[in-house]
Amino acid sequence: MNIDKILVSIFQRAFKSITDEMSISLTKTTRSPILCEAKDFVTGLYDAKGQMLEQTENLPILSFSLGPVCKVILEQYGSDIHEGDVIIHNDVFSMGNQNNDVAIFKPIFHQNKLVGWSAAKGHQADIGGAVQGGYNPNATEVWQEALRIPAVKLYEKGKFRKDVWNLIFANIRLQMVQEDIKAQIGACTLGERRLSAFVEKYGLEVFEAHKIALFDATEKMMRAEIKAIPNGVYKGGSTVYYDGKHKGSKFPIRTEITVRNEDITFDFSKSSPQTKGFVNGIYTSTCSAITLTFLQMINPNIPHNEGMIKPLKYIVPEGTILNASYPAATTFGNHLCPQVADAIFKALGPAVPDRITAGWNHLLCSLFTGNHPRTGKKYVDICFLGLKGGSGAMKNDDGYDHIGMIDASGGVLDQDYEMYEQQTPHRIVQHEYLCDSGGAGEWRGGLGTVTQIMLRGDDTTMVVFGDGDVETNYGLFGGKGSVLNKIELKYKNGKKLIPMSKDMIQGIPDNTLYLQIASGGGGYGNPKKRDKKKVLEDVKNEVVSKKVAEKIYGVKK
Amino acid sequence: MRFNVGIDIGGTFTDLICVSSEGKTIVHKTLSTPQDSSIGFINGIREVAEMSGLSFEKFVSNIDTIVHGTTVSTNALLTLRGAKTALITTKGFRDALEMRRGIREEQFNNHYRNVTPLAPRYLRFTVDERMDSEGKVLKKFDEKELLPIIKKIKDENVESVAVCFMNSYKNANHEKKAIKFLRKNLKGIFVTASFEVLPSIRFYERVSTTVVSAFVGPIVAKYLDNLTQKLESINYKGTLLIMQSNGGVVVPDQVKKNPAVTVLSGPAAAPTAGAFYSQLLGYKNCITVDMGGTSFDAAIVIDNQCVTSTEGNINRYRIALPSLDIITIGAGGGSIGWLNSGGLLQMGPQSAGAMPGPVCYDRGGTIPACTDADLILGYLNPNFFAGGKLKLNKAKAEKSIKDELASKLGLSVLETAAGMYRIINSNMAQGVREISVERGYDPREFLFIVAGGAGSIHSSEICKELEIPMFLVPNVSSIFCAAGMLLGDLKHDYIRSYFTSFNNIDRKKFISLFNEMKDDGLNALVKEEGVAADRISFYPILDMRYLGQYHEVQMEANWDDVMKFNLENIFEAFHKEHNRQFGYSLKEEGTEMEIINVRLRVVGKTEKPKFLSGNSKNIPAEKAIKEHREIYIPELNKMKKVPIYDGDMPIFGSTIQGPCVIEKITTSILLTESYDCVVDDFGSFIVYEKEKFPKGYQLKNKKVTVNEH
Repeated sequence: MNIDKILVSIFQRAFKSITDEMSISLTKTTRSPILCEAKDFVTGLYDAKGQMLEQTENLPILSFSLGPVCKVILEQYGSDIHEGDVIIHNDVFSMGNQNNDVAIFKPIFHQNKLVGWSAAKGHQADIGGAVQGGYNPNATEVWQEALRIPAVKLYEKGKFRKDVWNLIFANIRLQMVQEDIKAQIGACTLGERRLSAFVEKYGLEVFEAHKIALFDATEKMMRAEIKAIPNGVYKGGSTVYYDGKHKGSKFPIRTEITVRNEDITFDFSKSSPQTKGFVNGIYTSTCSAITLTFLQMINPNIPHNEGMIKPLKYIVPEGTILNASYPAATTFGNHLCPQVADAIFKALGPAVPDRITAGWNHLLCSLFTGNHPRTGKKYVDICFLGLKGGSGAMKNDDGYDHIGMIDASGGVLDQDYEMYEQQTPHRIVQHEYLCDSGGAGEWRGGLGTVTQIMLRGDDTTMVVFGDGDVETNYGLFGGKGSVLNKIELKYKNGKKLIPMSKDMIQGIPDNTLYLQIASGGGGYGNPKKRDKKKVLEDVKNEVVSKKVAEKIYGVKK
Repeated sequence: MRFNVGIDIGGTFTDLICVSSEGKTIVHKTLSTPQDSSIGFINGIREVAEMSGLSFEKFVSNIDTIVHGTTVSTNALLTLRGAKTALITTKGFRDALEMRRGIREEQFNNHYRNVTPLAPRYLRFTVDERMDSEGKVLKKFDEKELLPIIKKIKDENVESVAVCFMNSYKNANHEKKAIKFLRKNLKGIFVTASFEVLPSIRFYERVSTTVVSAFVGPIVAKYLDNLTQKLESINYKGTLLIMQSNGGVVVPDQVKKNPAVTVLSGPAAAPTAGAFYSQLLGYKNCITVDMGGTSFDAAIVIDNQCVTSTEGNINRYRIALPSLDIITIGAGGGSIGWLNSGGLLQMGPQSAGAMPGPVCYDRGGTIPACTDADLILGYLNPNFFAGGKLKLNKAKAEKSIKDELASKLGLSVLETAAGMYRIINSNMAQGVREISVERGYDPREFLFIVAGGAGSIHSSEICKELEIPMFLVPNVSSIFCAAGMLLGDLKHDYIRSYFTSFNNIDRKKFISLFNEMKDDGLNALVKEEGVAADRISFYPILDMRYLGQYHEVQMEANWDDVMKFNLENIFEAFHKEHNRQFGYSLKEEGTEMEIINVRLRVVGKTEKPKFLSGNSKNIPAEKAIKEHREIYIPELNKMKKVPIYDGDMPIFGSTIQGPCVIEKITTSILLTESYDCVVDDFGSFIVYEKEKFPKGYQLKNKKVTVNEH
C-alpha cells in the first residue's frame, strides 16, 4: 500500500488527542486526590498486538507501565477477547508496576476484528493489604501490601460480572476506589469510541499501514538520537539507603549502558540483590524509570509510541533490588526511580556531558492521618508541598526550583495553602525556598524548600517513606552537591524527634511543629565560572548567601 | 444621525466599526501605532468620519458611545513590560507566587524554565501577621512593620504594590489596614490588595491574580488617561467603555480599580459577537473561531451566553478572574511548515509573524508558512490580498516550499502545499475539539461562526473533520471583534468565599453575601455608570462539589432560588450540571454536597445597535463572478478551474454553488466541491454541505428564513 506521508502526521496528532482527552476525563471525574490532583495515572492506546499507538503519561514514572500488561492480557486470553470486555489488572508479578496502580483495558473491534485497545491505569487510594493506602514499611510479602489482581474480566461481552466486582471490592477499604475504577472504565470507553470511529473513517488497511509508518518514523527519530551518543560501554552507580528493617543498611544500584550505533542497552544486572522489606523495584517500574530518564536526555517532541521503545533494551534480572522475585514486597519500587536516574546520568556523563543533569532531589515524604477536629471526620494527607525539592543543573541551564523528584518532574503540585488549612486541621507556618539549597556550580542546582507545619489534633499518625537523608544530591564537573533531606518533629515540651526514612510515628500530640527540608539539586560546572551577574542576582534575591557567594563562587560585591 | 463605534486594536491593524442609529454600518481597518496606540485610535475615527461624509467635528459630536478593546495589558504580560512590582505578603509565604505550586509544564524537557516572577524575590516582602483558617486573628498586624518596606519600595523605584495575606478571604481587615497605610505613604504608586481583586479561597490563585493586576495597573491607567485626554481634545462628549475579559464592558474608572479584568479584552469580543449573530439566525449555541496571523482562537456560546472560566493563564501567569473560555493554539496564516527528525511534516506553532511574514509577502521571509501554501493552492489571489494592498510573490513561495519541504519529502510542491493545508486544518480542528468535546459539548449541535481574515478558507475542512454540517462567515468577519464590542453588556463579577457543607450552611449568611455583592453591583452600575435600574439583572453562580471531590463545578443558579434559600432547586440543578459535564451524578446515592464560593454577575443591558438588513440594489450572483481560477480541490486531490466571486457586491439572498472562491477585500471564502452557500439578508455567508442542507432552514424566493432551531 502507498503511504500517504501527510496522513501519518495526522494519525500521530489524532492518537495524541485521544489519549489526552481520556486523561482530561479522568482528571475531572476521579475522587482520590492522588488521581485528580496529583494526576498519578496514564492513558494509552494499543494496537491488536499490544503495540503502543500513543500514551499520555501524566507522571513520567508511568511511561512504561501499560504496554507490557497489554501483551500479558493478549497471551492469557488468546482468542477469548470480545467486544464489550473490560479487563482489570494490577499484579506486579505479571507486569504490573506497583500494587496500587490498577489498569483497565478495553478491546476495540472493527467489523468483528480486534484492532486495538484503550487503557487507563491509576494509583488507587487503597488496594487492600495490611495498611490503608498500601505503603506498609513492615511488609515482606506482597499479600501484606495488597490484593493481587491478575488479569480478570469485569465485563464479558458487555455483561457486567457483579460477582467478580464484589470479590475485588470486598477486599478494598474505600468506596471511593470503586468510583475511581468506574471513571477509568469511562475513560477507556471514550478512547474506544474515538479510535473505532477513526478506523471506520480510514479503513483497516490504511490504518494498519500508516500506523506502521508512524512507528517507523518514530523509531528513526529515536535511533538518530542514540546514534548521536558515541559508541561505548558506560558504567554508573548510586546507592539506596535503609530498607526499613536494618539501620544503616545500603544497597548499590549499578548500571552498564552499551551504545552500539543505533542501539542502546541498559543493564542493571550488577545491582544489589533484593531486600527483605518493601524497598524493592519490579521490572516495569524500573523500565519506566530507565525510559523517562533517557527521554529527558533527548528531543522532548518524539511521539510516545512503539517506535520510541523499540531501540531501547532493558536488562533487569529477577532477584535484584530492581526486579524482586515473587512473592517479595515491592511498594517502594517506584521511588527507586531517582537512584536509577542518578546511575544513568552518571554513566552517560562522560559521553554526553551536555545532556545530563546533576542530581535531583530524592523523595522524602510524609503521610498524615487523623481525625479532623472541626469535621470529626478521618482525613488522609500526603504532604506534597513539603517534599518537592530542586532538580539538578545541566549545561547552560540552572536546575528547576521546587520541582520535586524526577519520577514526577513537576507533574505533582503543592496543595493550595488555604485549601490545606480547610481540609486538614494543620496550620502552615512556612513554605519557602531554602537559601543556599541549590548546589553551587557554573549552573546552579534548583532550589529546595523549607516547610513548617503546626500539627493540630490530638492523635496524628505520620508515615514517612523516602530517602535522600544520607547522601547529598551530587554535583557534576566541579559543581557542588546540595543539602540533605530532613524531617523533624518538635514537640510542645521541647523534645525533638527525627524519624527514620521509612518509619511510622503514632500518637503525635496537638501543637507539634513539623519541619521538613526538601533538598535542592546538584550544581553543574565550577562555581567560580558562574556569571558574576547571576551570582549577584541570587544574592540580591536571598537564595544564595553572601558567605557562599564569596567563599564558593568567589564573588564579592 | 447618532453613532456607536467599536474599536479593536491589534498588532498590525486597528479595526473599526461604526453603526448609525439608522443601522448603516461603516467598517474600516487602519494601521496600528504600537508606540502609542491611541494615535491609531484617533486616526481611525478621523478616517471613518471621512467615510461617513461628515466633518470630523460633526462626526465626533454625533458619537454616543465608543467601545474599546485594548491589548495594553495583554502585551505587558506577553513582553514582561509591566510596572516594577512589589508584593507584600504574610511571613512564611514569600515564594508562593514564584513557585506556582511547583509545576513544570513540560515534564520531559530539562531545558524548560520557570516563568520570570512578576514581582522578583527581592521585592517580595513579608510581615508578621496571620489570620487562621476561620478568619480569627492569630497574630495582629502592626503597620509599623511596613515602614522599612516602604523605604525599600521608594529606594528601588517600585511603581506598583500588591498586598496579599493568608486567609484574607475570611477576614480582610489586615489587608485593608495595610493598603490604607501604603496609599497614605506611597503617593503616586499604584497599590492594590487581594480582597479588591479576587476575595476568594486559594492562596496561589489570589496572589497570582493580584500581582498581575498590580503589574499591568499603572500601564493601563496611563493608557486610559492618555486616551481620555485625547478624546477630550477632540471634543468627544460621549461615553467611553472598555471591553473586559469576561465579555462585558465597563467605564475606564472601574478598569483602573482592577486592571486585570482587561487581559483578554480583545479576543473576548468574538464570542460576544457570536452570541449576537447566532441569535439573529435563531440559534442559541455557537462556536466562534478566529484565525489570524499567528494564532487561532476558539470559544463557545451556550444559551446565548458566552461561557466563562476561571482557569485562565496568560503567558503561564495564572489569572483566576472570570474570563471568557477561549482556547488559543499556534495556528495562523504565519504558521511555518517544518520536518521533524523523523521526516514528518509539522505546522507551527512557531510563526513567521507579521515581519518578515510568510515567504510570499516578499519581505525577506524564507521559511514556508500556511499563507504560502494557501497561495499555491489558488485560494488566495496574489493581486487581491487585502484588496490588493499587498502583492503576493507566488514564485518565491513555490521555491521555498520546494527547497525546504517538498524535495525532502519526495513530493511535488502542490502535494506538499496540500499537506500543509491538511495538517494545519487538523491542528485547528483539535482546538475546536478542545473547546467543545473536551468540555462535554457536541460541536455538531452548534452554529460554527468563522472570523478573522484567514479563517474562511480553512473552515470547511475543519468542519468536515468534526462533522459539522454548516458554518457562518459574518459580513463583518474580518473585524468581528470590533463588532462584538458594540454588542457587549455592562458586566461586573463579584465573588465571596463561603466554604461549608450544605448540612451546615447558614441561611442568613448565604443570603447576605449575595445582597452584599448585589449592592456592590448596583453601586457600580447605577452610581458610576448611570444604568437605569430596570435594565439590571443578576446571575448568581455557586462553586459546588460533592463532598470529597477536589474539582468544583461553577453552577448557575436562579436569583429567586438564592434569595428564597430554595436549596432543593439548587441541588437539582447541580446534579444535572455534574451529569452533563462528567456523565454521572450522585443524586441517587444521596451524597452530601458542599459549597466553596458564591459569585454574582451583575449585568446592565446596553442599547444594541441595529444592523441594516437587505438591500434594494441586489444583483444576481452570476453577475458577481469576476474571473475563473485554478484552485486545489481536496475531495478530488487535484487542481480545478472554478469561478471567483466578488463578495463585496450586493448579492443578498443568492445561492452560490461550490467549488468556488468568494473574495472580499478583507477575507476570502472557500467552497470546496461538497459545499454550497447562501448569502443572508445581512450579507453574511452561510456555507453548508451539499447533501446536508441545515435543518430548520428554508429557502424561499431566494431569501433565507430561519426557523427556531
